[in-house]
Amino acid sequence: MEVKELQDKIYAFVQAAKGKKKLKEKDIIKGVSADTGETPDAVKKAMREMIDVGRLMYSYGGGSSSVEIPSEEYLREKGMIK
Amino acid sequence: MKKYETPLLDELEKGPWPSFVKEMKTAAQKSEMANDELGQLEKSYKDRRGYWKHGGIVGVLGYGGGVIGRYSSLPNEFPGVAHFHTVRINQPSGMFYKTDALRTILDLWDEYGSGLTNMHGSTGDMVMLGCRTEALEPFFAEVTSRGWDLGGSGSALRTPACCLGKARCEWANIDTMDICNHLTQMYQDYLHRPAWPYKFKFKVAGCAVDCVASIARADCSIIGTWKGKIAVDQAAVKDYAKGGMDIQAEIVDMCPTGCMSYDGGELKIDDANCSRCMHCISKMTKALKGTGEKGASILIGSKAPIVVGSLLSWVIVPFMKMEPPYTEFTELVEKIWEWWDDNAKPRERIGELIEMKGMRSFLEAIGVEPQAQQVFEPRKDPFFFWKDEDLNGNK
Amino acid sequence: MAWLTEQEAKAKRKTDIGPPHYSKMLPPVIAKNYGKWKYHEVLTPGSMVHVAESGDKVYTVRVASPRLLATSNIRILLDIADKYCDGYIRWTTRNNVEFMTTKEENVAQIKKAAQDAGYPAGGIGPGLSNMVHTQGWVHCHSACTDASGLVKAIMDELFPYFNEKRLPAKTRFALACCVNMCGAVHCSDLAVVAIHRKVPEIDHDNVKNMCEIPTTVSACPTRAISPDPAKKSIKINPDKCMYCGNCFTVCPPINIHNPEQDGVAIVVGGKVGSLRKGPSFSKLAIPYIKNNPPRWPEVVDAVKNILDTYAKGARKHERLGEWIDRIGWEAFFRETGIPFTYQHIDDFTFARDTFRTSAAFKW
Repeated sequence: MEVKELQDKIYAFVQAAKGKKKLKEKDIIKGVSADTGETPDAVKKAMREMIDVGRLMYSYGGGSSSVEIPSEEYLREKGMIK
Repeated sequence: MKKYETPLLDELEKGPWPSFVKEMKTAAQKSEMANDELGQLEKSYKDRRGYWKHGGIVGVLGYGGGVIGRYSSLPNEFPGVAHFHTVRINQPSGMFYKTDALRTILDLWDEYGSGLTNMHGSTGDMVMLGCRTEALEPFFAEVTSRGWDLGGSGSALRTPACCLGKARCEWANIDTMDICNHLTQMYQDYLHRPAWPYKFKFKVAGCAVDCVASIARADCSIIGTWKGKIAVDQAAVKDYAKGGMDIQAEIVDMCPTGCMSYDGGELKIDDANCSRCMHCISKMTKALKGTGEKGASILIGSKAPIVVGSLLSWVIVPFMKMEPPYTEFTELVEKIWEWWDDNAKPRERIGELIEMKGMRSFLEAIGVEPQAQQVFEPRKDPFFFWKDEDLNGNK
Repeated sequence: MAWLTEQEAKAKRKTDIGPPHYSKMLPPVIAKNYGKWKYHEVLTPGSMVHVAESGDKVYTVRVASPRLLATSNIRILLDIADKYCDGYIRWTTRNNVEFMTTKEENVAQIKKAAQDAGYPAGGIGPGLSNMVHTQGWVHCHSACTDASGLVKAIMDELFPYFNEKRLPAKTRFALACCVNMCGAVHCSDLAVVAIHRKVPEIDHDNVKNMCEIPTTVSACPTRAISPDPAKKSIKINPDKCMYCGNCFTVCPPINIHNPEQDGVAIVVGGKVGSLRKGPSFSKLAIPYIKNNPPRWPEVVDAVKNILDTYAKGARKHERLGEWIDRIGWEAFFRETGIPFTYQHIDDFTFARDTFRTSAAFKW
């Protein structure tokens, strides 16, 4: 699978959980790997690239960390959108 | 700048101990943020409650740790603390500083933050208190361009910490600062990107005196020890006696294993029965010294009481050589992390997971054999598991 | 200095470089004698000397700090280090500042310069070191007392034990502003820990919007929390709640704060070193003292009473917990005059180990 396609799957996976469950990195890696047949390492690498450019972000709440889709406010602050 | 009346906090400028109120007022002369922090704290003193919201979602791009979001619940009344985030800067191992290097950080912090710090946070980082969200990225860029980086937070590896070890202590059995720095550098990814069920802390102590409280505050405690005898310098023993030390009462009678004797001349140690607790060595440092093979005991699991009670770390590997590049240790730790990551519930620390799954499951998963040094005493009840492989050969 | 623009910030930023290597931060005498120290001697409560196998000596002056420091005042400390210590300084694990010099004659001058700046010397050897403490109202959402203020009030009163008077053994004192205990309170000779005493109040509308119900239910160590399907929220069984606040951590609309009832407990007898009896947890001495800012006089009196009673009763080298072990807890309560209450008897995870199973005890 192309990296871009895999990243779209990752994005969709995170979006589907929005407001329902706080996803940890591991949840995403396991879930997307099972859905796509890609190796956990490949999913992790693709996900990390998304985090590095602000397509996904680490979040923190309820005493633990998770991965989420960033808010517009966050992206504006990071200069990712004008 | 608004001038706050602080009659309650002013009471804490009196007395001989250094005053944090003085520090806050000093910072408030230069910073609106520190000034509003002072104002809000006075209100907390009046109302006997804090005015901070839960941490928020802030950080630097790509990292999930190092910044802890903090927002005032009274942003209109105290706009300077509307955002008042914490930035953790990873301390150099041992917390030695060249003054110029530290001044660079201070200058940056005056520019981008409130001018208030904690030297240091409980885990060991330099803690920069009070940063606005939009200042995080430029501050981070400035800090990293000068060779510093952020520490850990969230469900990640926390900034490793150590005692000063060989730098200035004759009791250090291992090179604590090197081990600490090695782990910090080797596991930057785990430090900055929270990938685990919960936090994980390393603390490295050079000996069993444990000046870094590793046995109480680290998921993995690395505590220096030795295997050989205690060398006794009898001339120095005599000097201690001459200097007024009651060797029988202060040393021999306080030895927990009763392995010492003293006839007024020679101090004798039955080394086979010494537990290497450090009492005698710490009191007669000129006369006594551990010899032979040096290394560390690896203990796992300590934490504060949330949720079902505090834990002290448990001995897992009684003795391990600790020499660069510390491969035996890092291979063990990576096995520990894998088992923990595979099995833990959210917010479950390694010590809690071991209690839940049983020490045997843990030891088997990481490939460590049972040893009497791991327990104070064997079990008292007659209930125990047998696995098929235990029955083979009728062991 | 001017703020970086967005492009400049992006161009300058590096990641995952870690802290500077410690070797760049070491005073020359430390670097030279690294791993080759022979012995050390405590000279005064504020100074000591380390002697290396080479014969080199390094004198250390340790001074107090409130941990919460302004950049301007840190610069004053750095100036002292430039003047007397070749431009090197360090901090200890208990938030003291250390000045190191090879010149004995500098010791008195460093002490004076630090004292003049408001940072007195002390904390070495068998006495009281700086208190390890947490953020409190200064910077934490979870705090149910202030930390810095209590530490200031306590250390003002106990100051002689830091600066001049000796105790039977070193005494490690800590303070945590809630039971999350960001300091090593649970293994300290003497410690203050802030506690709640009332069942939290639930803001059901916000619980519905902000919290995962299963996570919140499972966060409770005493199973006091169950789902409330009608409200799409949770409910708390008041008979089971021990006010730990873990539910508040995972779900902010469960408010545990109660300024009228929040306060502090005093715990004693813990340690981390393996010397003699080994590491141990601190145990409850006083279950509750109300929050009374700005100087918490009741807390100050209580800890002073415990420390003075220990200083009078303990043998040389006996840590506070070792003294109590020797005389027995019933004697500890007798000697200190602290009342023994229901709260002292464990009804949680360690209970079984603490009930007396012997007919031998003291009156």
